[in-house]
Amino acid sequence: MATHPTQYANPEALVETDWLEKHLKDDAMRIVESNEDVLLYDTGHIPGAVHVDWRADLQDPVIRDYISPEKFAELCSRNGITPDTTCIFYGDKANWWACYALWAFRLFGHEKVKILNGGRDKWKAEQRPMTREVPKYPQTNYPVPKKRFDKEIRAFFDEALAQSKSGKPLIDVRSPGEYKGEITHMPEYPQEGVLRGGHVPGAKSMPWKTATKDDATFKPAEELAKIYFDQCGVKPDTDTVVYCRIGERSSHTWFVLTYLLGLDKVRNYDGSWTEWGNKVGAPIEKGA
Amino acid sequence: MSKGCGKLDDAGTAEIRSADERYPTKLNKIINLFESLPEDERRETLVSYADNAKKQEPREGENFDLVDVRKDEECMDTVGVYLHVDENGKAHIRMTLGPEVQTLTRAMTAVLCKGLEGCTPQEILDLPSNFVTRIVGAELIRIRSQTIYYVLTRIKGICKVYLDRQRMAAVA
Repeated sequence: MATHPTQYANPEALVETDWLEKHLKDDAMRIVESNEDVLLYDTGHIPGAVHVDWRADLQDPVIRDYISPEKFAELCSRNGITPDTTCIFYGDKANWWACYALWAFRLFGHEKVKILNGGRDKWKAEQRPMTREVPKYPQTNYPVPKKRFDKEIRAFFDEALAQSKSGKPLIDVRSPGEYKGEITHMPEYPQEGVLRGGHVPGAKSMPWKTATKDDATFKPAEELAKIYFDQCGVKPDTDTVVYCRIGERSSHTWFVLTYLLGLDKVRNYDGSWTEWGNKVGAPIEKGA
Repeated sequence: MSKGCGKLDDAGTAEIRSADERYPTKLNKIINLFESLPEDERRETLVSYADNAKKQEPREGENFDLVDVRKDEECMDTVGVYLHVDENGKAHIRMTLGPEVQTLTRAMTAVLCKGLEGCTPQEILDLPSNFVTRIVGAELIRIRSQTIYYVLTRIKGICKVYLDRQRMAAVA
């Protein structure tokens, strides 16, 4: 029987709420809130936190793609972020959108990134300070990233198809109903225009939330290893692709595999089911 | 030229603006307020309305002609709509929202409960829905277009059921 790690591969990728409250005024870091609820930041946030909206700030408004390196540099500069700033991401939904924002920052090569373990829900539940005051930081001059790390951490349709055909690990992190093809959207969410229900052939189902505890914190390393190594067939030296509907929930799983389990060949297929389910010529599987 | 068929300007808004008279006075005031605000103040005002959503809950001793409490796929949590129509045929709407309901939906709840207070169910049913975009603004519409009509749809839904029942009772 394989032995599993007893601690996270990169424990420094997480900060705890208690620690963060003691470091709110640390100049070397920037707290970044990213939510699904578009106005949640405006209702109150961690003192000093800036807001990054996954759609308005990170996605190109015309092309289905992320913003350009120039726009990323602008986003960081207006939030007082430099390449040396440690960005601590947090948000609603057990950090699902925070992980998405973190992944997008990594796409542009920003290296110093962390997640607030438990996110906004835990911070609020512990009645830690919140404010509506929007902080103003001196504008920085973040250099335009020379490249986007698409090859390293992002998978496109052809690469997901190749992954499917090769039988390498492919994890579908959507709900079981979406995976089976019974529904084409998340439970509790509106239908967003996918023609077919099902999953990418060969994909294993492991809903993203399996990696979290009830208080929105991540499960211990040993449990995560059992979930992903034993149940999903993920191996440290093998390419792994994760996907969901638009790449947001799979960013959470990408963070778990990359930072908490220490795998360096994990890519997020952000085209995900909204691309695959509509794509002419794309094969699908239905059922469990 | 009739008001409802105004020639569109470059932004395509002439028809919307000329239709102001189709909105109830209270709602029209809210629409005009939001339209006068820059984006940051619009967001602040939406949050203020969201803060007031709890005040739209049923009060002790109130009776309702219809109650519709349910959890739909379009919304993150349970939303209850309570309709009372007084002896003058005017509708009074109260709403309850589950804790997971998003801020924009909370804001629209307060906006609509206040803006539609005292309208008849038929007036509510006939209300064109394009005013919602004028309140929420283009930026929020662009990034979250799917949630903003939900509360209006629910309110219209309960008014339709009420009117259908009235018609059936009149026929019987």
